Amino acid sequence: MILVNYLAAVALLCIGLYAVLTRRNMIKMVMGLSLMEAATYLFMISLAYRAGSTAPVLLNPPPGKSAQSLVHGNVADPVLQNFCLTAVVIGVAVTAVFLSVVVRIAQHYRTLDSDRVREMRG
Amino acid sequence: MSGADGDRGRASTLGRGPGRPETTEHEPEHRRWIGAVLAAGMAAALGAAMVGIPREHAALPAVARYAMEVALPRWGLTEPVNEIVYGTRGFDTFGETFLLLAAVVSVVVVTRSREARRGYFGESQAGEREQEKCDPAESADASEQEARAAERREQDESAPGDPARPQTPDAEPLGTPAPETAEAMTVVTRTAIRIALPVLAVAGLYLVAWGYSPGGGFPGGAVLVGVLLFVYAGFGRRRIARIVRPGLLEGIELAGATAIILTELLGLLLRGSFSANWLPLAAPQTILSGGIAQLFSASELIEVGTGLAIAIFALIGMGHDWTHDESDEPAHHGEGET
Repeated sequence: MILVNYLAAVALLCIGLYAVLTRRNMIKMVMGLSLMEAATYLFMISLAYRAGSTAPVLLNPPPGKSAQSLVHGNVADPVLQNFCLTAVVIGVAVTAVFLSVVVRIAQHYRTLDSDRVREMRG
Repeated sequence: MSGADGDRGRASTLGRGPGRPETTEHEPEHRRWIGAVLAAGMAAALGAAMVGIPREHAALPAVARYAMEVALPRWGLTEPVNEIVYGTRGFDTFGETFLLLAAVVSVVVVTRSREARRGYFGESQAGEREQEKCDPAESADASEQEARAAERREQDESAPGDPARPQTPDAEPLGTPAPETAEAMTVVTRTAIRIALPVLAVAGLYLVAWGYSPGGGFPGGAVLVGVLLFVYAGFGRRRIARIVRPGLLEGIELAGATAIILTELLGLLLRGSFSANWLPLAAPQTILSGGIAQLFSASELIEVGTGLAIAIFALIGMGHDWTHDESDEPAHHGEGET
């Protein structure tokens, strides 16, 4: 039942969204965004899963199979694994950008409460 | 890690009188109900969408099947994920590399200090110089002097105010109580790090060296940044100061980016299509297998490793503020500290 994984990813994304919407501590908002990122990783890896499949690796195929039969056989989706791999690195970099902005705001306004940062009010 | 620095800063300001009160527990929140309704709506919409998407019995998409088919014959790679990262969808990876570079540049721009500096740590000089220019007659009071001494200790090798501290943490006799501003961890942690470091470093390089490991340079670069962070956390910044400085890291990072551009562009010039393989294929499962995939992967190691190191150390090195702020409002003092 991979659907459970999909729904868990949705739940994780919505917890992150709720944190971003309701928290006013900017570090916690960044944590919420990281949680939303993590939800996409879980979703992509779950989407790559195939029932009864093997890993998309052509080295040392399981007994009774050759590399060629594996190519046309039942394997997990390698493209989504690739997406996840690159998304993790980008996630780290983007979080670093968020955090550096938060630190600068905190140094300037002496607070992490975004409500107290007057210039950010519309 | 910057949290640990913050704690350190707060610890040293404790017991200093009325200057900086303790942080009060205060959790700012905002429009809880609207947030809950919007998040629930999002969950409902996405949940409904999830029910309809392909599940574990769906056929493999054509692009994935294609990658499986060409991995061995066209790229000599037994690892289709690696073939996709650096081959079939190499253009994606190319674009994503420069997204990473853009993020690193943003961090560098946001965190840079007022004047050029050679290391990631130490920007108090600018403030002192400015104060000298504005008000040379201003004398530092007791708390200001204490703050400056703390800053100097944090700042530099040549901490003159603290002759009792040995040069390296290893020279400190066992059983010495750790000072509040200890820059290294305990001997237990240091020993554990000494044992784990070579294993971690070799594992990171192995991921890249053998071209049939999934992802190659991406996880490899991240692991090598982990090595740097271990040394920083366990032994203090002096141990990495010669390697981790902006001038060196930024140069290496851009060299990696140039190598990636050249790798991809030479495919256009020599083979007529961007990111095409222009190197002879070595036998599968050897160190050179995969043609340009291996070259791309090694360049990506440089790019990701130095890029993440720049971003992390730029963040860690953002100035500590030891002095009291005179115009501070009474509430939320501690939160502004980093």
